[in-house]
Amino acid sequence: MIVDNEQAVSQRSDEDVIVIKDLNKWYGNFHVLKNINLQVKKGERIVVCGPSGSGKSTMIRCINRLEEFQRGSLVVNGVEMIEDVKNIEAIRREVGMVFQHFNLFPHLTILENLTLGPIWVQKKPKDEAEATAMKYLERVKIPDQALKYPGQLSGGQQQRVAIARSLCMNPQIMLFDEPTSALDPEMIKEVLEVMVELAEEGMTMLCVTHEMGFAKKVADRVIFMDGGEIVEQNTPDVFFDHPETDRLQLFLSQILQH
Amino acid sequence: MREFKPQPAQPAPIESAGVIGWIRENLFSNVPNSIATIIILYFLYLIVPGMIDWLFVSANWSGSQQADCTDDGACWVFVSAWMQQFIYGSYPDDQIWRINLSLLLLGAVIAAPYAMPNALRNKVGVPLFLVYPFFCAAFLDGRLFGLEFVSTDYWGGFSLNIFLAAASIIIAFPLSFLWALGRRSEMPFTRSVCIVLIEFFRGVPVLALFFMGSVMLPLFFPEGTNVDKLLRVWIVLILFMSGYMAEVFRGGFQAIPQGQYEAADSLGLSFWQKTLLIILPQVIKVSMPNILATFIMLFKNTTFLLIIGIFEILSTTQTALSNSNWLGGHAAEGYLFVALVFWVCCFGMSMISANIERKLDTSHRK
Repeated sequence: MIVDNEQAVSQRSDEDVIVIKDLNKWYGNFHVLKNINLQVKKGERIVVCGPSGSGKSTMIRCINRLEEFQRGSLVVNGVEMIEDVKNIEAIRREVGMVFQHFNLFPHLTILENLTLGPIWVQKKPKDEAEATAMKYLERVKIPDQALKYPGQLSGGQQQRVAIARSLCMNPQIMLFDEPTSALDPEMIKEVLEVMVELAEEGMTMLCVTHEMGFAKKVADRVIFMDGGEIVEQNTPDVFFDHPETDRLQLFLSQILQH
Repeated sequence: MREFKPQPAQPAPIESAGVIGWIRENLFSNVPNSIATIIILYFLYLIVPGMIDWLFVSANWSGSQQADCTDDGACWVFVSAWMQQFIYGSYPDDQIWRINLSLLLLGAVIAAPYAMPNALRNKVGVPLFLVYPFFCAAFLDGRLFGLEFVSTDYWGGFSLNIFLAAASIIIAFPLSFLWALGRRSEMPFTRSVCIVLIEFFRGVPVLALFFMGSVMLPLFFPEGTNVDKLLRVWIVLILFMSGYMAEVFRGGFQAIPQGQYEAADSLGLSFWQKTLLIILPQVIKVSMPNILATFIMLFKNTTFLLIIGIFEILSTTQTALSNSNWLGGHAAEGYLFVALVFWVCCFGMSMISANIERKLDTSHRK
């Protein structure tokens, strides 16, 4: 446990950690994000869903500047995202990211994957970084794999390592970009369990996923995107049981059918 | 409920194992295969015995002059009599220990990373490599160390091929990585400069580059300065090599998934941290076979230097062949010897690179 429950409750406040205002993005002439407005409070858990090509991944990738945007403003933890290397690196240190394809560094051991950021970015001594890394590996339940290479682990294990790697940087916000989409059904569960635990501890989370069970269980708010805009957002109960728009109704009927 | 029991693995059928099985399956599996096997065996029977006889059985092994070659076979006396020239060129007899020491040091610098713990490899091993060419040049020259001065006019033989190749490869390696990086850069000026450099040195034949180096390069130096011929050759080799290697690296860069850059970015690594810690090791891994091919090409290309009058091993061989005491056709022995030393070195490089590839392969190691 990183934080106990009491702390988790106190962490949730009215303070906005992410403020997105009128964000617009184009790929060439293609308008991928249209007037996105979104506020995320500290400790809030948000699930983003929508059909492929709806811009959901692009939106959360803007938050740590893996994607540039052309118009609008984005403030993360009080720091405005501007065209400045120092500024971008500062924001990236606050924001952890978990990718669909894990993106572990294949030439480094699991332990080295976890300590790379703390040692080189946060300038922590090696022993301290390794102790932290082992702590998080235990949290994701694979401390015995520390000296192996990513290629020797199953997909589910790799994704748990990727989550631990982000946590080692002690981020304020965690972004998940379809973390279970590349996994076998049996492995999805072990990754979701880790994510649920993280949510229960009060981590601010933005999660692009189609795992509706996960959304119902932990999300404070579910966002539906289509065609580059936020179509609808609501608490999970209202979102799933009483969708306001016909578009969301259609989407839900299609994904809940199977 | 029925219990699911996985089936145990069974040994392979007996007819697919063993020597007879192997021969039948690989050499005589069907009629065309059997005919091919017999024809090839027949040709080997025609060629190999004669070759062995000429090379070893009726060859002349002892003696010191041409008159000692009385048998029909190869005259290895020619090679042994000229051995010192072949290896060391005209370097003074009493100073040859300096060449030997430099060669030993080269071996040590290559072997050192194997003996070092991981943590020291990058901090000590790499700088050692980068210092070696300059140390070696100064040491063979001698003035800086208070040793007897040996002008580059006297350097030669196979050791010169090795030194030139090693010194060029060592400097070209980081240089070409920078060029490849520059070629991918988003800064238009950097990118154009790198593209021009790479395409020029890759597109011009190496012989033309050597002539340019010996004729044109002095025009660019300030008047009155006399830049050593060997130094000019070294510069040309470095630039030529860098052009090729940069393209090898570019191929390696393209094999790295975008996700690796994104993961490094999302951890907050700076550009150089990302490039050196995450990208470079993976680029080297995927490019290793091509890097080695380029090394070997450059190493063999050092024999072209005979054309601009540098006494590397091939031109030493030609000098020996035209020596009045050795007239009468020892070309076969001479060139075979040259082929052998090059092959041994290139094969050694292959072994080292295969070893590095195995070390870098972390994908299936259980």
